[in-house]
Amino acid sequence: MPSFDAKKITKIHQHLHSHLPSDTALRVKALETILVEKGLVNSESIDRWVEVYADDIGPKRGAHVVARAWTDSAFKARLLEDGSKAVDAMGYGGPASGHLKAVENTPDSHNVVVCTLCSCYPFSILGMAPNWYKTAAYRSRVVREPRAVLAEFGVKLSEDTAVHVWDSTAELRYLVIPERPVGTDGLSVDELAKLVTRNSMIGTDRDLKAGGI
Amino acid sequence: MDGIHDLGGKLGYGPVDVNEPEEPFHADYEGRIWAMTRTAKAPNITIDWWRHIRELVGKDDYLDRPYFDSWAQTHIASMIDGGVFTFAELENGKSETAPLGQVDEIDYDGVLALNNTMAFRFDRPVETTPKFTAGQSVVTNTSGHAGHTRLPEYARGKTGVILSYRDAHIFADDSAKGDEWAQHLYTVSFQATELWGEDANPKDSVSLDLWEDYLNAG
Repeated sequence: MPSFDAKKITKIHQHLHSHLPSDTALRVKALETILVEKGLVNSESIDRWVEVYADDIGPKRGAHVVARAWTDSAFKARLLEDGSKAVDAMGYGGPASGHLKAVENTPDSHNVVVCTLCSCYPFSILGMAPNWYKTAAYRSRVVREPRAVLAEFGVKLSEDTAVHVWDSTAELRYLVIPERPVGTDGLSVDELAKLVTRNSMIGTDRDLKAGGI
Repeated sequence: MDGIHDLGGKLGYGPVDVNEPEEPFHADYEGRIWAMTRTAKAPNITIDWWRHIRELVGKDDYLDRPYFDSWAQTHIASMIDGGVFTFAELENGKSETAPLGQVDEIDYDGVLALNNTMAFRFDRPVETTPKFTAGQSVVTNTSGHAGHTRLPEYARGKTGVILSYRDAHIFADDSAKGDEWAQHLYTVSFQATELWGEDANPKDSVSLDLWEDYLNAG
């Protein structure tokens, strides 16, 4: 049973701070070794998990969701109404998609997502979070000076465009639906999905390009 | 807990590294610790107790070591705390007990299928009626407490508007103590000027998902 005792954890952390190998890879290796010894982890299965998150479970899932929302208004309505149900039906359910909320950019509003308290992220549709999303720099600043942070990402906004920041403080996870680029009429869902960047679904990219196909 | 993790609005952390490569993993250990946290957990652990363990990582380790390093330390601490293994067993790489389980190898499709089942829901039926409704003005609590909580410092004592009621969700503060019960949850929108003063753009907002215990009638 967990102790639920913060003082005990502080002591464990102090011990680990002094006794764990300094190198991160060795720390992780030590954990894997003892979990294998305990019969709780299978190293080959860990290899498969890494492959799945490198190949299948990543931003291309989210891009497919967005492209479908652009082309299918009934789907978009379902996505906005209950994001979890909509992505589940596409086979994209998984960690942190239990309460998925889609928020939509418009010509005069922009959405951007953060988790200031830890690093919550909709893993099952966007895959691994970029490192910058988890840094103190992003987490501290994007709630306070979102326009300055977005400018660093190359997002240009007029003073009249409202910026809405979503801080993931409970178990809701946010997906930004970027605006469909002009000049993409007639493209298929698969072609449109290729235009959707990971950052545009977090909100650190805005004006998607029609070209590149 | 007013710890180092409560970063929203703090100054001095510098520019964001926007040129990071897009690959999902930048080191082998990142994928391995990620996978281990998916598949092997301390018995009866709650997500909120895990988050609290992470918040209790020393400030230098928390800020200066690689992100997944603090995950590794958190996961190790949670397992030592939960009696899965001891310091000595971790250090020696040898179990002093019989195996605690047996994990068969699963293939790629097996992982995909298993991952699909991991969309845990946090809403629970409750008998009480929500105190607030969409459009209502609310004021957040002015102080936090020593335990795990999800009302960040920057949003304390501030006036916002209920954007949406989100049903009753497991209350993080108590779930971090092993007491899982649900409480009404709301998305609350704050004007940027309310949070940051007149320097902010009056068109901008910050929204947070907040439990009823954090809120008072405005």
